[in-house]
Amino acid sequence: MLNRGTPEQIEAVVHEKIRAVLQERFGQVRAFGGADKLNATLGLSSLDLAFLVAELEVELGVDPFAKLVSITSVRSVDDLVRAYRRAIFGDNKLRAEDSELAAAMERAGSRKARRARK
Amino acid sequence: MNQKVGTAPRDRAQGRARDNATKNVALVTGGSRGLGAELVAGFLARQYAVATLSRRKTAFIEQLLQKWRKRDFCWSAVDACDAEALLRYVMRIADRFGRIDVLVNNLGTAVDGVLPTMRTQDISQAVQVNLTAALVLSQACSRVMLRQGRGCIVNISSVNAIRGHTGVAVYSATKAGLDGLTRSLARELGPRNIRVNSVAPGYFESEMARRLTEEQKQRIVRRTPLGRLASAEDIANAVYFLVSEQASFITGQILLVDGGITC
Repeated sequence: MLNRGTPEQIEAVVHEKIRAVLQERFGQVRAFGGADKLNATLGLSSLDLAFLVAELEVELGVDPFAKLVSITSVRSVDDLVRAYRRAIFGDNKLRAEDSELAAAMERAGSRKARRARK
Repeated sequence: MNQKVGTAPRDRAQGRARDNATKNVALVTGGSRGLGAELVAGFLARQYAVATLSRRKTAFIEQLLQKWRKRDFCWSAVDACDAEALLRYVMRIADRFGRIDVLVNNLGTAVDGVLPTMRTQDISQAVQVNLTAALVLSQACSRVMLRQGRGCIVNISSVNAIRGHTGVAVYSATKAGLDGLTRSLARELGPRNIRVNSVAPGYFESEMARRLTEEQKQRIVRRTPLGRLASAEDIANAVYFLVSEQASFITGQILLVDGGITC
């Protein structure tokens, strides 16, 4: 079995890739935290996020957004980290974090429903 | 952190990928016959490494496999209606060659008959083969191209996407869908130097054209300003142009190769 890393390693890889994208896009690496919003705070576009997901698929060997999680539920750096941890470790080990991801997914679902009603 | 985690199979592919490092890689769907075979042969002649998929291995594919001995050419039997299989296929090709520079969505099936009497199953299959497969392949290949920071996608559309004709409503709808994909995907991926275009052939000498009666063919020829049906080579030449440096500022376009029949 291949090395799946630890939850901390997953977070480090995701953060490293975000830093690389920020460097490429803005010519400098801004400091960021887990609560920072990928789009609203860090300024990453949907195409940047697609690039990030493609890079992370190569690095981590999984794509949580193919089936498991909707990309629209991911808003913050921590949402992204949780999606990869969930894809790699499954539901049992990360139940507490999953509840946060589920809450994020629920928020996204509510936004979508509101838009549909308009 | 440099430690790799997860299941990415990149390391074992690097040796093979290095062999093709200097070659551009083209993935042509439906390359066992007709226009697809023309494109496969043409890209190989232009020093590309070529991957193709089709339902069955033809004599043409057998010849290429013997000639190239899997070095610059590979063929796989993949069901175009199986999205998971298509995704796995793209990952295999990216692993093997290390990159994908060109995707030509050439796979297609002809569906004739007026819509009111067409079987639902036939409609679904046509949408799967002609449109959904192209969407899935474009998604998978665009991820590889995003990482490369370059790439070209060419969708093989049809004049039937531009003009209405009796008996080809489903086929027209799927091809018009491809053109919609071309325009929107060109906008999405342009900022990362990935170009997306369509080539819309008129009637050309192919398996599909063989279904036409001689009278129908003659009528098409009479209505074509250039006075003949196209050859597969005529169509392929437009594809080679669109993926070339000469077309480096062209994206989101539908290039009609029809001898002027729609003008």
